[in-house]
Amino acid sequence: MTAWFEDVLEFGNAIRNNDAMSGGIGPNYPIGTALEIYRNNYRGNLQGALGLAYPVIRQLVGDEFFRMMAIMHIESRPSKSGNLHDYGAELSKFLASFPNAQELPYLPEIAKLEWACHMAYFAADIEPIDIVLLASIAPENQDRLRFLLNPACRIVRSSFPIVDIWQAHQPGMPEDFLIDLDSGPQIALVNRRNDVVRVEALSLPESAWLEEIESGATLWDATAVVLENHPDFDLESHLVNWIEQEILVDFDHEAKEN
Amino acid sequence: MDRRHVLTAAFGSLLAMSLMSGNANAADKMNMEKCWGIAKAGHNDCSSNKSAHSCAGQATKNNDPMDFVAVPKGTCNKIAHGSLEPGKAG
Repeated sequence: MTAWFEDVLEFGNAIRNNDAMSGGIGPNYPIGTALEIYRNNYRGNLQGALGLAYPVIRQLVGDEFFRMMAIMHIESRPSKSGNLHDYGAELSKFLASFPNAQELPYLPEIAKLEWACHMAYFAADIEPIDIVLLASIAPENQDRLRFLLNPACRIVRSSFPIVDIWQAHQPGMPEDFLIDLDSGPQIALVNRRNDVVRVEALSLPESAWLEEIESGATLWDATAVVLENHPDFDLESHLVNWIEQEILVDFDHEAKEN
Repeated sequence: MDRRHVLTAAFGSLLAMSLMSGNANAADKMNMEKCWGIAKAGHNDCSSNKSAHSCAGQATKNNDPMDFVAVPKGTCNKIAHGSLEPGKAG
């Protein structure tokens, strides 16, 4: 049992780090060849998974750089899941300390946004809100409503214009863009609707309201907090918009029953 | 700001939305059907996905040469102040 475990550990290290192996694997191949075949497939799979999860990063740095980065990432961060779509959650952290990417300080934040998009793509399907039921809630219960955000919905804050960068790299966008990295911070809202992942920029009060709601605040508490700092916040139009966009997808049952 | 005033306005709009929701639902369904099939390319489809699933010509040769100097060469040159040069000189 222990010997077997050590063999597996040695095998794993040999696959990721080009280490040699002491024992044999099977009768058909010399051990070096067998390892190389396995290693190339292992890396190819994970490289492919990273490429699919991070298409904007790949475009930003180019295919060759991306491939080298992926190899280094694979060496230091083994896959821990049987599901390839789970691989790459830590690319943002990896990039933050990756020596060859230090000149592109926005890369880790783009990676964070892309992983949010990746997660949004695989989030559970959900029915839109029951607008008839919502509209029929008695006035005395309205302020105590608690809304539920779409499980695909994520907010990503950045000190860089990450939404502009992300959008410039979507299929069909013109190739001759120029983005000023000093154009200021952006807050990205990620959501999925009709199987399409969307990213848009949020204003400060919008992100504040959604984060209040996400943390479980009631409709009025969330709104009051935002109105305090942003008296122009227009609850009416945002509520309608976020229900239409399927950002708000349900409200609490206590209020439904009252 | 007055709580009642804000909530009444908001729920007024929600009521208007709910009155139109019969049509909206039908439109949404059509929309959904139209959009069917534009799932993120390659993600769901093993057969069209050459790189993320095994067996595609990675068999014998080591395809991971590491002997080049890695410098980002993508669209990052279109992001001003994200220049590739600074730091190299000093």
